[in-house]
Amino acid sequence: MEIRQAGYDCLVITGRAPELSYLWIDNDQVSIVPFPKLKGKSALDTERLVREHLGDHTVSMAVIGPAGENLVRFACINVDWGRNAGRTGMGAVLGSKNIKAIAIRGSNDLPVHDLNRLVQVSQKAYDYLRNHDLFTFWQKVGLMSVIDYANEQGFMPTYNFRDGVFDKSHKLNADEMINQGHKINDSACFACPMSCGNVCVVKNGKYAGTAVEGPEYETVAMLGSNLGIDDYAAVIKGNQLCDELGIDTISTGNLIGVIMEAYQSGLLTIEDLDNKPIEWGNAEAALDLMHRISNREGIGNVIADGTQGLLKKYPQLERIISHVKGLEQSAYDGRGSMAMALAYGTSDIGAHHTRAWPIAQELEKGDWTHEKRADLVIYHQTLRPLFDMLGVCRLPWIELKLDEHCYAEMYSAVTGKEATLDDLLEKSKHIYNLTRLIGVKHGLTRQHDYPPQRMTQDAVQTGKLQGCKIDLEEYEKLLDIYYQKRGWDKKGIPPKGKY
Amino acid sequence: MPKRLTVTPERCSGCKTCEIACSIKHFKVINPKKSAIRVMVLYPNPIIRMPIMCGQCKKPKCAEVCRKGAIKKDENGVILIHAEECVGCQMCVKACPFGAIYLHESLDTPFKCDLCGGDPECVKVCANGALHFVPEHIFGQDHRMSNVLSYMNMKEMEYTLQGEKKQLRYAEIGDKKNDD
Repeated sequence: MEIRQAGYDCLVITGRAPELSYLWIDNDQVSIVPFPKLKGKSALDTERLVREHLGDHTVSMAVIGPAGENLVRFACINVDWGRNAGRTGMGAVLGSKNIKAIAIRGSNDLPVHDLNRLVQVSQKAYDYLRNHDLFTFWQKVGLMSVIDYANEQGFMPTYNFRDGVFDKSHKLNADEMINQGHKINDSACFACPMSCGNVCVVKNGKYAGTAVEGPEYETVAMLGSNLGIDDYAAVIKGNQLCDELGIDTISTGNLIGVIMEAYQSGLLTIEDLDNKPIEWGNAEAALDLMHRISNREGIGNVIADGTQGLLKKYPQLERIISHVKGLEQSAYDGRGSMAMALAYGTSDIGAHHTRAWPIAQELEKGDWTHEKRADLVIYHQTLRPLFDMLGVCRLPWIELKLDEHCYAEMYSAVTGKEATLDDLLEKSKHIYNLTRLIGVKHGLTRQHDYPPQRMTQDAVQTGKLQGCKIDLEEYEKLLDIYYQKRGWDKKGIPPKGKY
Repeated sequence: MPKRLTVTPERCSGCKTCEIACSIKHFKVINPKKSAIRVMVLYPNPIIRMPIMCGQCKKPKCAEVCRKGAIKKDENGVILIHAEECVGCQMCVKACPFGAIYLHESLDTPFKCDLCGGDPECVKVCANGALHFVPEHIFGQDHRMSNVLSYMNMKEMEYTLQGEKKQLRYAEIGDKKNDD
């Protein structure tokens, strides 16, 4: 919001600052302020120090922690405490530019073509949400509700994605968060009535004093069940530590899970791990490893280079690292859903559910053909990035079924350019093709569009999806149909000259 | 009965929809920096979010320091800045003990909450129930009630009404002590 009020849609930062600095955007005044004192500072200390330096408590800030400075491949950008640009290592990109923080103050009116129309559409959407049956439930627990759901459905990442059910998930769910008094408040993004965020505090025990905006489903699953950790307080601590260091909780949880499994199955020796044992459920060892990743110490230095770095040094891990295109898989086990496997496989950024999340729909009702799966994944891959392009959240649509057409109405009111949802989806599809072409230019081809090995080789051990894994032959067929529907050739390359 | 705006900070989610509603109502724009209610968001220590707006003081400091007499109380006790008499010296901004008078670089005069003429927009859009618009005499009632309800010497008895278990709590004098 601040950045838009300052008059910018996005930032392009070229080159590199000679010394550690922060970028200060005060409406149309832009400066790069050298501030070497920020070296090694945690994300939150960085926010505080820059605000003090500017003498303005209310500036909005995007910062990196020490992990971003150290170019950890899954370093994230933290925005105003709780929200992160989490995936694909954007924090390392900022770190490579010697930019520790971006501070923004914007005070202009938002340019809106037809305010009355916008207010009308927004009021309608707002009333719909507030009157929804699940509205107060959603405010109360937010994405934490997914823990029980994922566990019941059998796709909760457990012990490095080996299983889809965590038998101690009741110690990590929304009830635990509420009943143990961890949650102290709701938290909302700008202008959102749903306030799905939770602020949690650990009040006693060895992690007492830990406060975090979160954790949410992905973090609890990846730092909890995926590591065999059944202590909500430890997950809160892990979340806080990841935020302070500036690392993505999903990739961190995924890779620590890999290390735990590798250590216990003998794929890595105790020497490989700097003589520090790390078993399932060992929260202290996991927290310690987070520090070492961020500081690039010992095995942490290898993990800091992400999946690619680990595989380079330890190729034997390919079998147990759940990743696509080098991006570590997020917290949905797709072995029971071919559509989810396709979603992970063909996502432009890798194994992340942001582009498509068809798993719930596929598991809800049967009678799925490959045609229907491909259609659903393509629809998701078209609609969901559209939310990102518009700069809005997709959760009102996913969770409370807000009619997606209202976004086109809002777009028209704001820009003055009349557009239907179909018009916007057409644009989104075009962009997806362009993104694909950028990938192709850098060597992307069919072989990068497959789900992780674990999904095709190891069956789910317990729960509703017991015995499920992805049949590779069927996947090949599905991929062919997907390419065909996309208008791409058999190698997944869009036609020449069309885009 | 004059109504007043009041806040339960622990309910505030920090969404700032109130700021948008305020700027639309008063300036016909979307600009939280032109809102007369501002959510202060503090973290990670202390953790609190608190909307700040004018409490319509009975003895307003802002009016006291205004050399031009531009700040006046209307018939409902609402403190208003009369822009035509205001010279923009900003004394009131500094004088307000709550920081509830605001400035914007594109405006000549400061602005503050006018209770939207008796129907505040911010309250309507607060989805977490942090903002309330209630008669003055209600103020403090919540605290008075919880103070009473948490009285330690209450007696309890259980009884059954139409098959349903119920509980009655009451204060009982017990053995009357001779304390005079």
